[in-house]
Amino acid sequence: MTRLIKYEFYKLFCKRSILVVLILFSVMNLFKINSEFHSYSYLADGNDSRSWNSVYWQLYEDYRGEITAEKINHLLSIYQPLADATADMTASTAKDNPDMMTGNIYSDRNILEKYYVEPMEYFYHYRTYALQVAERAKENAAVYKERGQTYEARKNSVIYHLYSGRSIKAFAYEEMYNYYLNYDFSGILVLFLCLYGVVSTFVCEKETQMDMLLLTNPGGGKKTTFAKITAASLFVISVAIWFSVVDYIGFVYFFGTAEGGNLPLYAVSNFSMAAVNCNLWQYAILSAVIKAVGVWTMSMVFLLISLFGRNALVPFVADFGAALCFIITGASQSCFSNAWLKIINPYSLLANRILFGKTEFIGFAGYPVQSFQAAIIFAIIVGVISITAMMMLSKRNSYCRERRIKCLDLCTK
Amino acid sequence: MSGFMYEVKKIMLCQRGLFYIALVLLFGTVWLALSDNPVDIAMEQYKSEYEWYLEKVNGYCTEESSLYLEQEAERIAKAKERQNSLLENYYDGKISESEYKKESREIEKVLERQNGFEVIYQQYLYICENAGNRCFLQTNGWMGLLGKGTLNFILFLGILLIVTPVFCSEYSCQMDTLILTAREGRKSALYKLLIMIAAVLFLSLCISLIEYGFYRFKYGLPDGDYPIQSIRYFADSSKSMSLLEGYVLIGLLRMFGGVFLTILLMFISVLAKKYAVTLLTGAVSVIIPYIGLSKTSIYRLPLPLPFLLGTDFFAGDIVMSDALTGDEKIIFAEVGTVTLLTLLFVSVLLCTLAVVWILRRNSNRWLMKSGQKKRGAAFAVMFGLALAVTGCAGRGKTGSVVYNSSAGYSVPFGYDCMGYEIIQDVGNFDYSLKNTSTGETYPLARSPMFGVFSDEEEIRAFYVCPPYLYYTTSVMESYVNRVGNYNSNITKVSVVELNLNTFEEKTIFEQITNSGRSLLGIDYETGDKWKFLDFHHAFFLNDDNLFFIGDDGITKVNRYTRKTVKLEIPTNGNISFDGESIFYKNEQGVLTRYDVSSNETYTYENIVAYDFCMDEQLIYYVSRTDGGGLYSCGKDGNNKELISHIPAMSVTCDTGNIYVLSKESGEEIVLPKSH
Repeated sequence: MTRLIKYEFYKLFCKRSILVVLILFSVMNLFKINSEFHSYSYLADGNDSRSWNSVYWQLYEDYRGEITAEKINHLLSIYQPLADATADMTASTAKDNPDMMTGNIYSDRNILEKYYVEPMEYFYHYRTYALQVAERAKENAAVYKERGQTYEARKNSVIYHLYSGRSIKAFAYEEMYNYYLNYDFSGILVLFLCLYGVVSTFVCEKETQMDMLLLTNPGGGKKTTFAKITAASLFVISVAIWFSVVDYIGFVYFFGTAEGGNLPLYAVSNFSMAAVNCNLWQYAILSAVIKAVGVWTMSMVFLLISLFGRNALVPFVADFGAALCFIITGASQSCFSNAWLKIINPYSLLANRILFGKTEFIGFAGYPVQSFQAAIIFAIIVGVISITAMMMLSKRNSYCRERRIKCLDLCTK
Repeated sequence: MSGFMYEVKKIMLCQRGLFYIALVLLFGTVWLALSDNPVDIAMEQYKSEYEWYLEKVNGYCTEESSLYLEQEAERIAKAKERQNSLLENYYDGKISESEYKKESREIEKVLERQNGFEVIYQQYLYICENAGNRCFLQTNGWMGLLGKGTLNFILFLGILLIVTPVFCSEYSCQMDTLILTAREGRKSALYKLLIMIAAVLFLSLCISLIEYGFYRFKYGLPDGDYPIQSIRYFADSSKSMSLLEGYVLIGLLRMFGGVFLTILLMFISVLAKKYAVTLLTGAVSVIIPYIGLSKTSIYRLPLPLPFLLGTDFFAGDIVMSDALTGDEKIIFAEVGTVTLLTLLFVSVLLCTLAVVWILRRNSNRWLMKSGQKKRGAAFAVMFGLALAVTGCAGRGKTGSVVYNSSAGYSVPFGYDCMGYEIIQDVGNFDYSLKNTSTGETYPLARSPMFGVFSDEEEIRAFYVCPPYLYYTTSVMESYVNRVGNYNSNITKVSVVELNLNTFEEKTIFEQITNSGRSLLGIDYETGDKWKFLDFHHAFFLNDDNLFFIGDDGITKVNRYTRKTVKLEIPTNGNISFDGESIFYKNEQGVLTRYDVSSNETYTYENIVAYDFCMDEQLIYYVSRTDGGGLYSCGKDGNNKELISHIPAMSVTCDTGNIYVLSKESGEEIVLPKSH
């Protein structure tokens, strides 16, 4: 069987066209990451000694690491006079002021505010916010327990355990991770590549009528189908992981740093209500795995649809249409509070901040299940159902069996 | 039958070309009808009033029309002022009924079209920004027709379905080589090209005409000769053309976009000879730049996408200010005529080269080319492309409970929410529920995370219908916080249902209110349909509808179809709702009832009130005609009874008491209901 899977993998996916598309998409992805950096980061203004980029990294050494009262006071002692001087917007707009780090007083205030004061304020206060949530959850749990609302009591208990003890002790650069976690483009590329890869899995043999011939082979029929599904699964998972790696490396390369990996996930303000307690680098790995699950599920559905096509045309357009529907509904519903819509849409796993960015639950048999857990379980179930359907719908190698029976008959006579 | 007819038959019947064309036209029309919303809702709602003014000022903004509008604005403002003083004088007995009626008829005549005037005045303000190239006209039809810069996915998928099999089907059964041995071999490819180009032109033309017909029928498309800048989408455009010219040019560009995509698909199919590669290249060449590139870059690429979109070739610069630095940033740079012509020229050239190459490849001779070279060329095309690219409602269980918008939900000034009082923290403005018997307090929003991490998360209004307490929340979320392709600041308004027995919470309605949004980096407009949610300060609901009270009226939202209707109800006084009817004071201070299911209005002619409130059985009102005393009457307006003769300013009530604010002392007087 392993050999059969290997052969199918080589046959279906080790094609020059796929390799070229893979390289092409990876290059496009890197260009896009580069454009994200230049579009969104204020630190993409070059290496001039008065650029924000240089000034930021000069100051960084003073403030990185554990947040202490001295660091906060030091920062405020620089920032506050600038804020006061610019409050009424009457300060000089000269861009070559030698006393200013960036040459302009407003620019100095802005860089300190955006990159040091605001993040440090958020980091510093996060412990209080989390404590407030934990306390509210604890009170809620007690109230619901009193009222016999077991599910709500359990849900609040989970929230309590999740939020109690949350704090951000150290200051670090988190901008790169912010944009990395908000980056969706590669997910679309992965979907296209997987669609291209898997759509031919069954139809390429139908186009050349090789499918009939395969049924005469002892390894044909269901065994081949299983091997194809396994090979396709391996392919899509590899592609998803490859692009996650390219994304991470791309962001680290273009932003010029991997700093901030040890910060907790909730250090990124969009993830203040994060569903898990892990570090940013751990989340990068978790995200890669979750993306792979999402891509696998969608690919299995694509594969099932392609089983019914005589050529790649209708399955490709149908799969493409389905993928567009998933993407558009997933992206447009992502900010709504209906957790079920996110759970049943595999796109949520691809752009998994939709699931991990908020602590959301659904009730299952009176127990609270976090939306990301439910989405993973749902995706695996859909994938397995698709595989089962493909196995059931694929033909047995009956020709071969009949021939063998005939041979046996002849021998016995 | 000629070779051409054989090809037509094969493509249109055997390869289901006709079926796909019909399907695209059908889905396209259905989608257009389902997804369309007027861009300016007020213009549509007060159409007849607006048109009355439009008739007077239609066209360019002249000195006369400007003077007329300014004078009319003044006249309306004065009439409103006069209406208020007239009403006061009449109820104070300073003028007789006949005088009041005579004057109010005149005032009503001035005010009868004030809603339509507001719409035209907004348009006037827009025109004043650049009166030279902006005109007064009905804009909804033109905005719908021209102001949508989004890709028609149905047409795009249709072209993929129709064009891909034309050559690929021949290659998949190796019929291509057989065709090349035939005398008519070369012509076969030419026929295919001609048929497909004609089919795609027909499809694009039909879609353009359907859109034109739809908007003409629904909103009307008058004054096509007015400058394109008359509609906001093209506000800063430097192109001088009329709206109709704009429509024709955009239509022609879209038709060319369709042809360009067709030729690209045929080129790839001849090159790669595989369905999957052709489809992937076609899809990638359109979707990846659409998602991955800024609009400025898209409109400078020799690809089918900019032509398929078309609209923004004629739009002006879009400049936004960076929130942090205040620097101006160009979000979209206008495509100059020279750039457009160059792009068009390059694209036509590419199409011609592709056609020539397709015909050469299908010439009547054996071609000795290795498969590797073919694939290499296909990949070269894809690489070229890549280089170009890189630049709610749960059923409510509402019973019959009476709602009064003027009543606060706190004891002793309002309703008893099943033994709870809604209190607001003075420090952090958070709302809590206080058990009136035990004194225990619980946060009103049951989610422990609510409002903790963001100041932009707040509770806006309440409505009690035991055992449920409903409240609305407003949340602002921001994803990427710098001006750019992602305009992902989202303001979301939700209606939450809280069961006061179990403290279970459920969101029954959610809506994003922003009109301009971004989905995967693609900006799109949703109109101002939900803008009223940002300004609501109270609400109530029944099983079918939600009613949001704003400063300029009440908007009814169907909980299932999400259809919105603005009700002509003034909201400057108390609004009561008993589950079936809305009670309010009309412009003349007369108590009026509006039945929400039959949409009928009934005026209680004998009840003129300063203020009123009601409970399940009675209406309590401070009479304006009887010296400001407090009266009660049944819901039908009968059985009028005097409760207190002390002149009052306002009245509220709860389950046990009536609270009256004395006009003379300014003190609150509590009157038990039994009296």
